[in-house]
Amino acid sequence: MRRERIRRRAVLAVLAAASVGLMAVDAGEEPHPLTSAGRHAAAAAFAPVSEAASVVFRPVTGAAAAIAAAPGAERRIDELERRNSELAAELAARDLDDRRARDLEELLQLSGLGGYEMLPARSVTRVGTGGYADAVTLDVGTRDGVRPNMTVIEGGGLVGRVVRAAERTSTVLLISDGASSVGVRMESTGQIGAVHGRSHPLDSRAPAELELLRADAKIAEGDRIVTMGSHDGAPFVPGVPVGTVTEVRDTPGALTRTAEVRPMVDLDALDIVGVVLAAPEEDPRDAVLPSEPPTDAGRPPKEEQG
Amino acid sequence: MKRAVSAVLLVAAVLLQVGVVDRLPLPWGAVPDAVLLVLVAVALHSGPAGAAAAGFACGLAVDLLPPADHEAGRFALLYCLVGYLVSRHGRSEVRSAWARYGVAAAASLGTAVGFALLGAVLADPRVGWAAAAFAVPATVLATMLVAPVLLAPAERLLRLLDSERYDGLGPPVAPVRIGGGWRG
Repeated sequence: MRRERIRRRAVLAVLAAASVGLMAVDAGEEPHPLTSAGRHAAAAAFAPVSEAASVVFRPVTGAAAAIAAAPGAERRIDELERRNSELAAELAARDLDDRRARDLEELLQLSGLGGYEMLPARSVTRVGTGGYADAVTLDVGTRDGVRPNMTVIEGGGLVGRVVRAAERTSTVLLISDGASSVGVRMESTGQIGAVHGRSHPLDSRAPAELELLRADAKIAEGDRIVTMGSHDGAPFVPGVPVGTVTEVRDTPGALTRTAEVRPMVDLDALDIVGVVLAAPEEDPRDAVLPSEPPTDAGRPPKEEQG
Repeated sequence: MKRAVSAVLLVAAVLLQVGVVDRLPLPWGAVPDAVLLVLVAVALHSGPAGAAAAGFACGLAVDLLPPADHEAGRFALLYCLVGYLVSRHGRSEVRSAWARYGVAAAASLGTAVGFALLGAVLADPRVGWAAAAFAVPATVLATMLVAPVLLAPAERLLRLLDSERYDGLGPPVAPVRIGGGWRG
């Protein structure tokens, strides 16, 4: 009995020590070869399962999304009932194709405007392990040329950056994640600052927050923000639209100026996105932003094509 | 036999968690912890060392499978402790169904708090007081909401295997005696 107790305490101690060791090894800036080898193996083994589950459970996730959107959807029930009669399964499939095509077209247009070299990808998983992280998985990986710290964009603007790349999948940290911080520049005035993510905004609905370095900086609602760009285009290439200021916070005495930001991209409905493989030759500055008036920000004026 | 069933249950739970539950667009990011529920059921029917090892294994899987974005080892440590403690101290409480839910709730609360504390210790910028004050109760609540459909069936299956072993009831299967096979 005594030996049994000693044995199981030893097992517990060994396993706990192994976990703590893993954490210590993995907490550094550079990914440790041991844990990244483990992650790559796990990713390779899991990719087929993930894709199959994605196909099988699409109706389930669709239903859950519908339930989540129920309060807002009530207003649209009448309209949807009218449309419902037209929507056969065939049409639904074609609609999906059309939407993807439009997403791609917008992406290509953005890439053409900014001069980015880009790899299109589909986002397969939206995650929140433990309820904190705000990240998505893409179906492209190192074999397609994706590396960590590459910028990820959608037709409208910035989505986030690649934090991990396995052989066939990669993980993207969204700009709304609490750990995300993007160096930005205001569209017209050129003032610089940073956009921080806030995964769990308790006091407001904005998923991100702008912080300008100067306390007397002038910002107003509707001002638009583009990325400032980083050294060698990693992790963020310059000139990508980030979002629009929705509410300026008045905090007298604060050292910096803060405002709430609505991202250009609907981060809850990501489908086709692009990984920027190479930065443009020269900074596109504000060229990528859609033309005025900014009432319908994030959508270039080419609605007839869809 | 019981050990094999436990392993299958845990693998299924990990796949369910990473492949399905984590990708549901749940409001406010409150994700139920399916792995924890199955682990509690398994730990209630196995020894502390085995339960700790099982917890470590599935925690490591959750840590490494994409798109996990935290240091590997966080869930491994937490699930390992959960397995050990539930098996060591929870088994005497196993008499009633309510006590089992209580054990699961305590384990879920401990895991959520532990995850937040580990995040704070490792200086994870996502884990602050506000985020943890929201995420911990939300995770426990979501986990307990799915407990009746995960914990209860898994626990019942394992209990059935237990009773089969001890009093010889169960389906009329001819006993197969392969050297030392009864140790399960």
